[in-house]
Amino acid sequence: MAISLNKGGNVNLSKEAPNLENVLVGLGWDARATDGQAFDLDASLFMVKEDGKVPSDAYFIFYNQKTSPEGSVEHTGDNLTGAGEGDDESVHVTLSKVPPEIQRLVIVVTIHDADARKQNFGQVANAFVRVVNRDNNLEVVRFDLSEDYSTETAMIFGEIYRHAGDWKFKAVGQGYAGGLRALALQHGVNVG
Amino acid sequence: MNLQRGQRAKIADLVPNGQRFTLGVAVNAPDLILDFACFGLDGQGKLSDDRYMTFFNQPTTPCGGVRLETPAGDAAGFAVDLGKLPSTIERLTITAALDGAGAMSSIGSGHVRFMDAGRETGRFDFSGADFAAERALMLLEIYRKDGVWRTSALGQGFNGGMAALVGHFGGTVEDAPAPVSAPVPPKPQTAPLNLSKITLEKRGNTVSLDKKANAAHGEILINLNWTTRAGPVKKGFFGGTRSNSIDLDLGCLYELKDGSKSVVQALGNTFGDYRDPPYIALDADDRTGTRTEGENLRINGQYWDEIQRIVVYAFIYEGTPNWAEANARITLKTPGQPEIEIQLDSSRNDRPMCAIALIENQGGSVKITKLVDYYRGHLDVDKTHRWGLDWVRGKKD
Repeated sequence: MAISLNKGGNVNLSKEAPNLENVLVGLGWDARATDGQAFDLDASLFMVKEDGKVPSDAYFIFYNQKTSPEGSVEHTGDNLTGAGEGDDESVHVTLSKVPPEIQRLVIVVTIHDADARKQNFGQVANAFVRVVNRDNNLEVVRFDLSEDYSTETAMIFGEIYRHAGDWKFKAVGQGYAGGLRALALQHGVNVG
Repeated sequence: MNLQRGQRAKIADLVPNGQRFTLGVAVNAPDLILDFACFGLDGQGKLSDDRYMTFFNQPTTPCGGVRLETPAGDAAGFAVDLGKLPSTIERLTITAALDGAGAMSSIGSGHVRFMDAGRETGRFDFSGADFAAERALMLLEIYRKDGVWRTSALGQGFNGGMAALVGHFGGTVEDAPAPVSAPVPPKPQTAPLNLSKITLEKRGNTVSLDKKANAAHGEILINLNWTTRAGPVKKGFFGGTRSNSIDLDLGCLYELKDGSKSVVQALGNTFGDYRDPPYIALDADDRTGTRTEGENLRINGQYWDEIQRIVVYAFIYEGTPNWAEANARITLKTPGQPEIEIQLDSSRNDRPMCAIALIENQGGSVKITKLVDYYRGHLDVDKTHRWGLDWVRGKKD
């Protein structure tokens, strides 16, 4: 039975799923039921150091850079509409291969072209993030964000972070204006 | 509080008591006809109980938790008392749908606002720039989440208009003809949701169909149809299972210009005549209740100048009067004119007869006035409208 977190809650992944190694971070949302341009949500992941910044731009994993240099994090691809059951986008993480200097994996979702399409998270239904143990396909923790977002166009859904030798997951649910660019700048990425 | 599209808020943050408020809706669109409604939906977002759609023809939910009430200055509105809603209703969605041509991109400004004791406490503003080809919109919703009532400014809609909106809520609308090549399916037991009509909402409302110069009115078709809720649980939108327990008869009193007066009705086998006086004919008597098209009364518009006035009525010939369950309505169709619909929306279950509408020849125009008055029988209708016929009790063959 997976743990369901509310905003701000956290869980110790290493205790809930001992020997957790191959992780799937799944992100989902409902496809647009109404007419109009589809909601194209993009999952990204910032691998940041203690200071909250990426060691280099190579540690910003997104649709145009799907794998980290050492291969510990891999984005599985872009879903343009949110159609279909289950995860709409996912990121694979091999925990033992994450470089020691990386303290946190910040999982963000942004709405592509949100301003032009006049879209925000409040219009998207049933968004969630979940952490799955790929070795047995069991869901370890889930965070449903539906009530925790509103007019933002970029959100930190959650983060996986080191704590006293263990890996923990925190349900963040923090929204930002300015889309992926603003979040990238905040995490020390050089955006052209 | 001003809500942006996509914004969510707790009702308690908008309305101090968190329970009772009125929603006012207005859209500045002089060239468009908009119908507003409040859909009461279940946990799956479906309209599982048609009685929880609140709109001009159904002004309140059974629980009284939502009823029509328009704040001053708004085009429509709904008085909401969340505490009265049954636990099965998890969501109220305020909608606007276009009746007739157009798209939501051509509306001007619009709003849904929260009114607390006559004072505005929150609003969601939108405009045509927010939309494209949508013809029906979900404007705002109020929903229960973990026991707390919240609101969300939706501002999303459907190009398919009311039919698509109803489909989204799990209802069915029967208004598209089946493809010619496909086998003709059995006619569903649901009445079509009429998307183009004039509805005479209140007693005394009138509409005049002006005759175009040198043109006759054509056939005026008056249809009486009804459903009952006595059967299995309803699935369709406005639909229902027809029960054999009620035989509703359509008829009329008429007076011609030459002073001749009588009735057209199945009772007494006075079916009238279409080509000769009185130029009014009843198609057939639907006694079994199995015909889904109901009963038709036709007025020959070519001879409209011969007709002075007509009172259209419905009469429960057999069965216990239960107008509310019969859900009866008549529609008046005239070529080239919008369909007119009148619901028998008040109930007097001690009276088997309902005078539905008065149709008068007013200088050549057809003037229709909604009556919906309930009587013990023909004699009372006659007296009220001063017809002056002699009445004896009759029986159908």
